[in-house]
This record gives sequence, structure tokens and C-alpha cells, in this order.
Amino acid sequence: MSITLRGVTKRFGAFAAVDHIDLDVPSGGLIAMLGPSGCGKTTLLRIIAGLESPDSGQVLFDGRDATLWPIRDRKVGFVFQNYALFRHMTVFENVAFGLKVKSRRERPPAADIRKKVQGLLDLVQLGWAGARYPAQLSGGQKQRVALARALAVDPEVLLLDEPFGALDAQVRHELRRWLRRLHAELKFTSIFVTHDQQEAIEVADTIVVLNRGRIEQTGIPGDVYDVPSSAFVHRFLGQVNELPVKRRDGRSLVGPLDITGEAAAEPRGGDCIALIRPHEIDIGPASVGWPAIIRDVRVIGPIVRVELCAEGQPLHEPLEAEISRERFEEEKFQIGQQVGVRFRRWQIYPSDAATLVS
Amino acid sequence: MDAPALAVNTELAAALSLGGGRRRGFRWGRLLLIVAALAFLAAFLLLPLLVVFAQALSKGVSVYLAAVSDPVAWAAIKLTLLVAAIAVPMNLVFGVAAAWAITKFEFRGKSTLITLIDLPFAVSPVIAGLTYVLIFGARGWFGPYLQEHDIHVVFAVPGIVLATVFVTFPFVARELIPVMQALGKDDEETALSLGASGWQTFWQVTLPNIRWGLLYGVLLCNARAMGEFGAVSVVSGHIRGLTNTMPLHVEILYNEYNYAAAFAVASLLALLALLTLAAKSILEWRQPELRNGARLLREKTLRGKP
Repeated sequence: MSITLRGVTKRFGAFAAVDHIDLDVPSGGLIAMLGPSGCGKTTLLRIIAGLESPDSGQVLFDGRDATLWPIRDRKVGFVFQNYALFRHMTVFENVAFGLKVKSRRERPPAADIRKKVQGLLDLVQLGWAGARYPAQLSGGQKQRVALARALAVDPEVLLLDEPFGALDAQVRHELRRWLRRLHAELKFTSIFVTHDQQEAIEVADTIVVLNRGRIEQTGIPGDVYDVPSSAFVHRFLGQVNELPVKRRDGRSLVGPLDITGEAAAEPRGGDCIALIRPHEIDIGPASVGWPAIIRDVRVIGPIVRVELCAEGQPLHEPLEAEISRERFEEEKFQIGQQVGVRFRRWQIYPSDAATLVS
Repeated sequence: MDAPALAVNTELAAALSLGGGRRRGFRWGRLLLIVAALAFLAAFLLLPLLVVFAQALSKGVSVYLAAVSDPVAWAAIKLTLLVAAIAVPMNLVFGVAAAWAITKFEFRGKSTLITLIDLPFAVSPVIAGLTYVLIFGARGWFGPYLQEHDIHVVFAVPGIVLATVFVTFPFVARELIPVMQALGKDDEETALSLGASGWQTFWQVTLPNIRWGLLYGVLLCNARAMGEFGAVSVVSGHIRGLTNTMPLHVEILYNEYNYAAAFAVASLLALLALLTLAAKSILEWRQPELRNGARLLREKTLRGKP
């Protein structure tokens, strides 16, 4: 089922949690809504689910206006961050709930329910846990039960609100991969909300970055990371170094480095900042580029993070660079060593807009 | 054994004995606390209870049985049970509805509603009783109207029920509001998204979640409904065999220096309370997974919402 939002707005008092959002989610898409807390992503998800009604705008399911449909009629599976399992029911009863509450006319016979629930439990690798109570399961297992329960009623849309937020890193990684596989297999439309850019990039086909109730950017994960449309998106998807840009004779300078790009790509007038990701910084011999001193070196598995104090930069704002382990071992960088810094890539944004979103 | 190993061993021993000493001190503290708690309970709860039963049986079983089976006493017992049987279900329904409204919805006047629910705790029961006399009494607001239609409220059973309902008003709602607040709306919203109706959601999801809080609330409400004195005393009119509840009957017997009979009826009242507590314990003990649920709920309440 495809989902379309048209001018959806929701206010809480004077605060616009969701502000004129237009969005198209194709049937079978796997969408991540990404943003900091308070950006409206959960409210938007709840509006799609029918748990919240928008003040204005429309929600279309397959082109039909579903704005006023009650939640039970939407064929939507909703998964909460804290699982929301019914604690007084066994795992089996939890998964069977959606089938058992159907009206007598629609309800499948008991034997069919049993078969379907067992099948779903096998699908989430919990076939052995049917007789357990939620309290006897780990967080990852509980979330898988919650997913099986949502899938039991054959939803056409699966909505997940920070589904892996309460789990530890290892389990989270596993469940992300598993969700992708499940989605590829069952092909329902899925939207999940997260504040974790890593999660969004790892799982989704499309990322929607939200800020202050508005969409900042929509795109495939690679694009959103590499070609952010605003300083906010650039900052939110990964680490960045922020440097003020000086204009001289029509050239743009950061320190002594000339970063003038194509004229069209540069914002005109006003103060600008350049955002550079740590892996876009190159460290070389002191004679080339921007003179700097290595202040700290930290080996993090396959990469090495180098803190640099560039000439003319305030001491408390060191540059952060990331280089590969191999290169680090070749060059044998030492703390206190004089080096030269160059940028491989950068992006320039007007700085007043940047302060506005930060 | 060589020297370093010995040194390590000595250190280890010292550490162990230190730990042991600390643990011993802790044990004494624990013992002291337990003894203090038990002594307090014995002096202020167990002893009075024993005294009630001892006094009741002080003149022999025959006097006890005579006091209890006396038609006037029997009428008081029946009236008490009747009043509780009306007041408790009323407050059960009201309490659940109020707690539901307060915890699951946002609306104007919510804090006023919470304050109003607490009112019976703040107001003296005697005043509560008096207000009913002023409203429904012969010279009250509705007095002439009620007299015209031959409806008796004050100095009759309806008045006693009204006063009891007022006094026991907060128990269920007060017990449920924190429980339902801690539970949040997620379970209900999940049930709705799975296609359950509001009614199914209430019976199959909400009610099982709040059943222990509800049970405690009902027990407290029931105990108070059967034991209420002040408010009922004002509206009852103390007509023997007609409008005397058990507590009022106990007082009359006591004022007539009929101690054995007074304590006999009092012991029945105490027995009813003990029975409800026992029933609750058995229920809880019989259903371990529910006890489990109650424990989880407590943990969740302590931790706050994750």
C-alpha cells in the first residue's frame, strides 16, 4: 500500500510538531524518518497510524483519503520502542490477539490461528517460546514477539517507533539485518522512526530527515550522506568539522586553503561556513597545505582518529581527521608532529541559516 | 609456601574478616529493624484485634451467639452488607471511569476533577453527612418535594448509601490513577491497531493490567464502606433494626454497657475485614504469573516509564 501525506500539520498549543509535511511513500518502500528528538517524527508516524489526528492536511492510503479512518480500519501494524507486549498473556496469546479479536464472521478457526501463530513465531525464531510470558524474555526477543504480533493481522503497512532504541548494540545490529531480510521477503510498506543516523543508513531504502516539524531532505542513504541539502542534514548524518569561510578577491578561503568551487554551487553574500567530514581531511608533509600540529591520536579498529590544531584556529576547536589504519602505520604520525592539512571534499553553507537550525 | 603468596593470603584474610565484620553489623541492624517493625505491628494491630475477640468471647460462646443472632444485630449486619454491596460497585465503576479519563485523555478541568476526587479525604465525614441532611432532609432543599412524593432519603437506607458512597469515593480512583499512569497508553494503542474494539481493549488488555490495583482499591473501599461511622451516623437517625449499621449498633451496645455484645458485633466486623484480606492473598498466591505481572508493574512504577 502506498502512503501519501499532503500538507499534514499538527500543533500542540502554539508549537507545531508537524508543519505542512508532504511525503510520498511508494508501496513496498522501507523508509526511515530520521531526526533529533522533538523534530516531529514520532507524531508523524502516529498520524499515519491513526493514533493522532492531524489539524490539517490529508493522509492517503493507495490514493484514498484515510485521514479520518479509525486505527482499526487502517491495516497498519504498529511496533513501539518498549514493545508494549500484553504482560498477562503468553507469547502465543500475544501473537494470536489480533486474530482472536476479529468478529466471529472474520475470525479464522482455532486450528488455523494456532498454525499461523506458530508460523510467525518460527519466522521470528521464537518457535520455542510460545508458552513463555514476556517477563521471561530478553529485550531483543520481546521486540521480535511485538513484530510477530503486528504481522499476525497481515498489515499492509508496518510502522515502527524507534524499534531498536532500547536494545544494546549487538542485538540492535542483528535485528536491523533481520528487519531488512523480513522486509525483502514479505514486501509490506514499512516506515520506521529513529534518531540514529547509522540505523537509518543501514536499514532504509529512503531516508527522510526531519527538523522542527519540516522535511529537510528526502533521498537514498548515500545521497543524503554525501550530498546533504542543508548544514543541518550535513551535521546530523555523521561527524563534521565546521570552519568559517573568508572571502577575498572573489575567492573563498579556509585558513590558507583555497576552497573556491563552481560559482553556481556557492551561496552568494553573507558569512559562510565550510563543513568537512573527518574522512575528507588529508594529512601530509608540513610543507604542503595548512600547517597544523597533531594533538591526539586514537586508534579505533580499522580507522585512526587524529586531532589537529591548525594554525590560526582556536585551541579548543581542533580539527578531527580520520585516516585508515594502513596509512597511519605507513606514515607513523606522532603527537606533537608538524603536518600539513588539505581537504578532499567540503561543502559551503550560509552561516546564518546554519545558526538558525543548530 | 613462599613469602609473597603468604602476604597475599594475609591480605585476603584481612579483607574477608573485614567484610565479615561489616556483614555482621548489617545483620544486627536488620534484626533490630525487623523486631521493631514486628513489635509495632503487635502492639498496634494484633493486640487490639485479639482484645476484640477476647472481649467478645469473655462471657462465653452462648452470649456471643445470642448477641450476634439478636434480630436487631442481624438487621444491622444485613444493612451493612447491603450498603457495601451498593456503594462498592458504584465506586468501582466510577473509579475506573475517572482513572481512565484522567490517565488516557487530555481535557480541560482535569486538575479540578482530581481535586474533587480527593475531597472526601479532606472533608470530615460528619460534614459530609450534614450536607446530605441539608439537601435531602425535611427542611432541606429537596425536602418538601421528597415529602410530597413520599420518598425517604435521610434517616433511611438511601441516605446511608449516599453518605457511604461519598466517603468511599476516592479509594478506587486514587489506587488506579498512579497504576494507569505508569502503564501509559501503549498497550491500548497496540490493541486498537491490531483491530480490537474499545470494549475488547478494556476487557482483555486494560482490566488485566490494572486488576491488582483495582482489587486493592475495592478492598479498601469495601473496608471503609462497612466500617464508616461519622457520615452514616448523621444521616441514619439510629432507628434500631431499621437504619443502624454495624458500627452504629456497636456504639449503641457499648453505650448501654453491654460490652460482650458490643465486642461480639465488633468481632464480626473485624472478621469480615480479615476474610477480604485472606481472599486477596489466596487469589494472588493461586496465580503466580499474575503475581509476576504485579511485580513487573511495581518495578515499572519505581523506574518510571523507560
